[in-house]
Amino acid sequence: MRAALLDLARTRTVLLDGALGTELLARGLPPGVPPELWNVERPEVVRGIHAAYFEAGSDAVSTNSFGGTPLKLAAYGLEARSYELNRAAARLAREAAPAGGFVAGSIGPTGKFLRPQGAATEEDLVAAFAEQARGLADGGIDAFLVETQYDLREALAALRGVRVVSGLPVFVTLTFNAFPRGYFTLMGDAASQAASALEKAGAAAVGANCTLTTEQMAGCVRALRPATALPIIAQANAGRPEPGPDGTVRYSQTVEDFLRFVPEIIEAGAAFVGGCCGTDPAHIRAMAQIIHKEGKS
Amino acid sequence: MNKAEIFRQMSEAIVAGDREASRRLAEEAVRSGFDLPEVIEQGYVPGLQRVGELWEKGEYFLPELILSAEAMKSAMAVLEPALGRRTTSAMGGKLVIGTVEGDIHDIGKNLVASMLQAGGFEVFDLGADVKLERFVAKAEEVGAQLICLSALLTTTMAAQKRFIELLKDRGLRGKYKVLVGGAPASRKWADEIGADGYAENAVAAVKVAKSLAGRA
Repeated sequence: MRAALLDLARTRTVLLDGALGTELLARGLPPGVPPELWNVERPEVVRGIHAAYFEAGSDAVSTNSFGGTPLKLAAYGLEARSYELNRAAARLAREAAPAGGFVAGSIGPTGKFLRPQGAATEEDLVAAFAEQARGLADGGIDAFLVETQYDLREALAALRGVRVVSGLPVFVTLTFNAFPRGYFTLMGDAASQAASALEKAGAAAVGANCTLTTEQMAGCVRALRPATALPIIAQANAGRPEPGPDGTVRYSQTVEDFLRFVPEIIEAGAAFVGGCCGTDPAHIRAMAQIIHKEGKS
Repeated sequence: MNKAEIFRQMSEAIVAGDREASRRLAEEAVRSGFDLPEVIEQGYVPGLQRVGELWEKGEYFLPELILSAEAMKSAMAVLEPALGRRTTSAMGGKLVIGTVEGDIHDIGKNLVASMLQAGGFEVFDLGADVKLERFVAKAEEVGAQLICLSALLTTTMAAQKRFIELLKDRGLRGKYKVLVGGAPASRKWADEIGADGYAENAVAAVKVAKSLAGRA
């Protein structure tokens, strides 16, 4: 099972899932409730979202555990339940997975800034990521997906934290901003520099998610490609969030705009593609058709 | 050293994020009996503006921005006591700032708060996850002119809209200028909810706050 997801990527483009948080909100997750709590309080809702993505054509889905480190859960007084909530997250995705469907254990940023910008030390982060990874591994994931990282140092700490408890493959995505001179994280890590550092640290695949539109993502994949021999992951947003006057949020790219650049992302060298904020099973279904076509041609 | 040269060095200290130099130059300005509001406006603020430009171009990132904000703070720690009460109220104004309820993000808000302070405002920072009522209560208590609301999440930004409505309900809408910011906020959003101002980053926030306070 372990190598299988990477093996699949050697034969064709692998389809990941789209957004999870917004799908939970659409199903009534109230403000102020951490999404991870629904892994135990509303498991059928979480399982249902995973099932919808698999049904739409995802080869792999990511677990409902983005904010599942004890450091992040502490904001809700739930730090002691990190292991439990993460294990439940993994089990729900596992239960929803059909034969041949893969589960990636989502690990988002802790929200803490490392010294000197913040107060956190690398060891604080490693310990928090290890605790989360223990729950995800025990819940039966196939791989880890360390995602949406904005500081290369934190991404590297996540890799180390996972390695404390598990030998499963670790996929890592950072979130980059597009500038005329290239793609950089909030902390100023260049895409190419981040990819090679993560490869050296033992990541199984590297890439970019969130922030960028599919058009920008194609450029970002082109920047990543020469920097690493690893498979590349690309999960773009459906444009920029645009709040409406009623307080609801829409994304600036239509499904058609989003899809227009997906073939370009694949051509640029992405092995794993999916969506991030503003994407849903409809985007994934349409991407599945594109991948299917490419596979045949 | 003449004034122009000192001003140039102040600006450089901010761009370089050099806390020591920034503080030392502020002390020198106080000792030399310079007009301190002028020192801030023509010495330090141009440095902040340059930092903002470098940030927008992708030359500077968060670590550099934080260092510059800290350099500015170290200068203000010297200048503020020297300025005294009279001049402070003459140059700035009072403002209340915080991250809205349900949202615990405060890095961006902290940056904006320190830049506003550096820009001469008396800043009352309520922290993160602040109940909307508390913004009103604090503004009433201290006699603020501006209220600044930060929201980092698309799910919490609606609180910025609710805040405008709360002010209207309380009959206080005309009394305060409301500024909104945070990753999902935009000029369009600010216009739609009827906020008075929007700023894309900490440097721009100071400009907007000054113009709303009638100081630009």
